[in-house]
Amino acid sequence: MSSIAFKPFHGLRRSSAVPTPTSTTTTLYKPAVKFHVSAAKTSPKLSNRNLRVAIIGGGPAGGSAAETLAKAGIETFLIERKLDNCKPCGGAIPLCMVGEFDLPLDIIDRRVTKMKMISPSNIAVDIGQTLKPHEYIGMVRREVLDAYLRDRAKENGANVINGLFLKMDMPKHWDEPYVLHYTEYDGKKGAMGAKATLEVDAVIGADGANSRVAKAINAGDYDYAIAFQERIKIPDDKMVYYENLAEMYVGDDVSPDFYGWVFPKCDHVAVGTGTVTHKNDIKKFQLATRNRAKDKILGGKIIRVEAHPIPEHPRPRRLSGRVALVGDAAGYVTKCSGEGIYFAAKSGRMCAEAIVEGSQNGKKMVDEGDLRKYLEKWDKKYWPTYKVLDVLQKVFYRSNPAREAFVEMCADEYVQKMTFDSYLYKTVAPGNPLEDLKLAVNTIGSLVRANALRKEMEKLNV
Amino acid sequence: MASIAISASLQKACSSHHVAKKQHAQTKPAYSLGTKQAIDAVTIDVEGQKGFKIDEKDQPSPQINNSEGLEDKSANKLEIESSARKFSDERWKNGTWDLNMFVRNGRMDWDSVTVAEAKRRKYLEMYPETCSNQEPVQFRSSIVPCWAWFMRTYLPEAELLNGRAAMIGFFSAYVVDGLTGMDLIGQTGNFICKTALFMTVIGIVLLRKTRDFDNLRKLADEVTYYDKQWQASWKDETASSSDKTGNS
Repeated sequence: MSSIAFKPFHGLRRSSAVPTPTSTTTTLYKPAVKFHVSAAKTSPKLSNRNLRVAIIGGGPAGGSAAETLAKAGIETFLIERKLDNCKPCGGAIPLCMVGEFDLPLDIIDRRVTKMKMISPSNIAVDIGQTLKPHEYIGMVRREVLDAYLRDRAKENGANVINGLFLKMDMPKHWDEPYVLHYTEYDGKKGAMGAKATLEVDAVIGADGANSRVAKAINAGDYDYAIAFQERIKIPDDKMVYYENLAEMYVGDDVSPDFYGWVFPKCDHVAVGTGTVTHKNDIKKFQLATRNRAKDKILGGKIIRVEAHPIPEHPRPRRLSGRVALVGDAAGYVTKCSGEGIYFAAKSGRMCAEAIVEGSQNGKKMVDEGDLRKYLEKWDKKYWPTYKVLDVLQKVFYRSNPAREAFVEMCADEYVQKMTFDSYLYKTVAPGNPLEDLKLAVNTIGSLVRANALRKEMEKLNV
Repeated sequence: MASIAISASLQKACSSHHVAKKQHAQTKPAYSLGTKQAIDAVTIDVEGQKGFKIDEKDQPSPQINNSEGLEDKSANKLEIESSARKFSDERWKNGTWDLNMFVRNGRMDWDSVTVAEAKRRKYLEMYPETCSNQEPVQFRSSIVPCWAWFMRTYLPEAELLNGRAAMIGFFSAYVVDGLTGMDLIGQTGNFICKTALFMTVIGIVLLRKTRDFDNLRKLADEVTYYDKQWQASWKDETASSSDKTGNS
């Protein structure tokens, strides 16, 4: 057993580790006055107005939070800096999102029903045979999805403000409001915009990976991956191959700790890769990814190059006073697959629901305890999902033999079924115990074979 | 920058990764030669690739020299590049190993299948190839039976560990007998002795070298690292007001 030498995964990291949680609490800004905590029942009723909540950031997280709050009658302000933002993103949404968020089917550009996993030695495995006819992974354009969710929130009564959030004044006393400073872009005022302030009772920070709200509440930092993507327009005959197929390339040449992908978009493909530990070599990894897919994207023209950070784990502090973080700002991106859209939207909704409940539809003031209920609910519901994906990433992305074993195992029908079930419906479903045992045996077998081959490979090169 | 037409370089008939990169090098001097890139990205596993030996037709050293001479870009040099760079072996047909060619003395020689596959993977690690739909790789390592894997790779190590266990066992039996007077039969009946025996066996299997101890400790840290990052939000809560109910 010890012959399978486990090289520790974060030995690969070049940068320094995240500071331990205990140290962050001592170095963080402590509020001058301890918040008076009481159960929601004894919170004061708001006499002459409804609760005011501001949401910074109008992506999926902000949009769904705004909709939930506005529907409950709470005065909602959604501050978004660029209403037509075309975000760099994989753009994959699971099936359950369409149902849960009542998305119209026309915002889905493509339905991916087949995936190809390609190992470092080009062993290609097709997955997706176990999908039922109505199941698919939806590919969307972010600008279309974000705009739809925002517009729906507006229809329900939210105030959508085109502005850039600058900073936030913390209340000195517990019943004072938060004062937000932002630059409003109004067309009339020209490109520079005008400074404006807004007083609200609670704030939801949905402004993404470089969140300013997170900085304002000293939420701490997280490790992040860089995802680099090129949109390539390929000839129509080659596009037919990618009609409803997405590809995933694994290998040290493509990424040391993530994967390279070819995802079909509306009329072009997105070829990209990502990494946490070797960010400086991202261009090399991108070239390697393009090389691996060369035959299939031959004759293509690059129409856009983009990159964005992907959080690797939640920030140390996701909540402070009546300010909560959701979505990428909180760091809710899964490992292994790097999926964030669904979790952003869901966390926005959950946080909004917690505020609605705690304030009894806007009649009472909320407090930190109410917002903490959202954290509790979130952690309880999705912790297993995140943990399983973390384990998968640590076991199967650590070296080329592990990746070969990973791709081999994906050929197994049971694995495919479990993977798609958990991805499409976002539940870690317990499978058949007998099949699980067989799967465990097969996993160990694959790892044993891959490591034996690696030993042979090492012998070839003394 | 956004509309760099890569059609020119991609449309080269041969799938030479190397040539395409050379085209790029003319427009963007920042990129170095193709081989260097492939090797740099793979630094984790590969050392001393110059000494790599493939006893089939291809030889890597002339290839690396060829790369320097690519400035001429003569057509036949291009062809040499492409045919030399792609992995080829007389026993590798249609994306899988032709098992009939591995029969020795009327019996299947799984060892050589293992070695051949290892060579292929090594080659691809150093010179990654494009994955094409026309020649998909069909080989699965599960075709080699499990006893073949054990015999080749794990048997010598198993022998070593068994030997160590036997020596330690004999020595401790001697010492315990000397100290407590319990003979071998009495020792095997005693619960403490049996527990000690169990822990010794585990120790020998897990701790082959001192390096393994560090590895195991790092592994334990790594397993719990992600959990700690998630629990950080709750650590903050227990430090503040007492009314709240603590969580995990």
